[in-house]
Amino acid sequence: MKTSDQEILTLIQDPLSREMGFRQLIQTYQKKVYHVIRRMVLIHEDADDLTQNTFIKAYHHIDRFQGHSSLFTWLYRIATNEALGFIEKKKKRFFFSIDDYQEKLESYVDQSGSLDGDQIQMKLQKALLTLPDKQRLVFHLKYQEDLTYDQMSEITGTSVGALKASYHHAVKKIELSLTRE
Amino acid sequence: MNKIPRIQEFKAPEGYFENLPDQIMSGIHPKANLGWTKWAAAAVLVLGLGFWQFGVFEPKPVELTFEEQSDLYIESQYWTAEEVLNMSEDPNAILDEIIREELAFTENIWTEEEQTWF
Repeated sequence: MKTSDQEILTLIQDPLSREMGFRQLIQTYQKKVYHVIRRMVLIHEDADDLTQNTFIKAYHHIDRFQGHSSLFTWLYRIATNEALGFIEKKKKRFFFSIDDYQEKLESYVDQSGSLDGDQIQMKLQKALLTLPDKQRLVFHLKYQEDLTYDQMSEITGTSVGALKASYHHAVKKIELSLTRE
Repeated sequence: MNKIPRIQEFKAPEGYFENLPDQIMSGIHPKANLGWTKWAAAAVLVLGLGFWQFGVFEPKPVELTFEEQSDLYIESQYWTAEEVLNMSEDPNAILDEIIREELAFTENIWTEEEQTWF
C-alpha cells in the first residue's frame, strides 16, 4: 500500500479527521475514477453521476476496506461495477425502446466535441463499442491504464488466465475493425 | 499491438474536478434545509385550527378508499406517472413488472446473470 493511502486511511479512521481524509481520497483518485468510468459510458453526465456514486459508496463502506489491496484497486472495483451495472440497465431499458443504447453511444462519438473531430479516434471508439462490455473494460484496464494482470484480477475478481484471453481477443477484434475499411 | 493507436481520453468540462469533491461531500451529507418548511407547517396548522373553529369544513358526503383516491389523482393527471413511480421504494421493479406484463412473450429472451461478474 502506498504511503499516501496509509495517510489517507489514518485520517479517515479518526472521527475528528474523517471528512478531511475522505476529501483527500477524492482529490487523489477522482480523475482516475472518472476516466475509468467515462471510457465505459462515454457521456460526461453519466460518468459524473457514477463517479459521485462510487465515492459515496466508498465513504459508506470504507470501514470494510481491509488494506490487503491498494485503495486505487478497491475504488476501481466499485467504479467498474457501477459502470457495468449502469450499462446493463440502460441496455435493458433500450431493448423496449425505438432507440438503441449502442446507437446512442455511437452517435455521441460522432457528435461530441470531446474528440476534436479526430477521425482515427472516432473510428477507434466505434471499434471499441463493438466489444462486449466486460471485454471492453479489460481492454481499457490493460491498454489504457497499463495495469498488471494481477491488479486487473483484484479489480474484476477474474482469473489472470481469463483476463489474458479476453484482452487478446479484444486486441484482435479492434485490429480487424481498424483494418477493415 | 502497434496497429492500435493511443486512445485519446474524453475531456471533462473545464473546472469539473475543482468542484467534484464538494459535490460528493454534499451528496454524502445532504443538507436538510427545513427552515421554511417548519414555518409553512406551523402556518398550515394555525389556519387549519382556525377553519375548524369557525366550522368552515363541511363533512364530506362521499368517502373514497385510498385506492380510489389514488386512481382519481392519476386519472385527473394530478399525479404524473413519474410522481407515482417516485412514491415507490423501487420504481425500477414497477417498470420491469409493467414491461413484463405488457410484453409477456419476450420474458424469456434473456439468460443473463442476476449480478455483474464481480
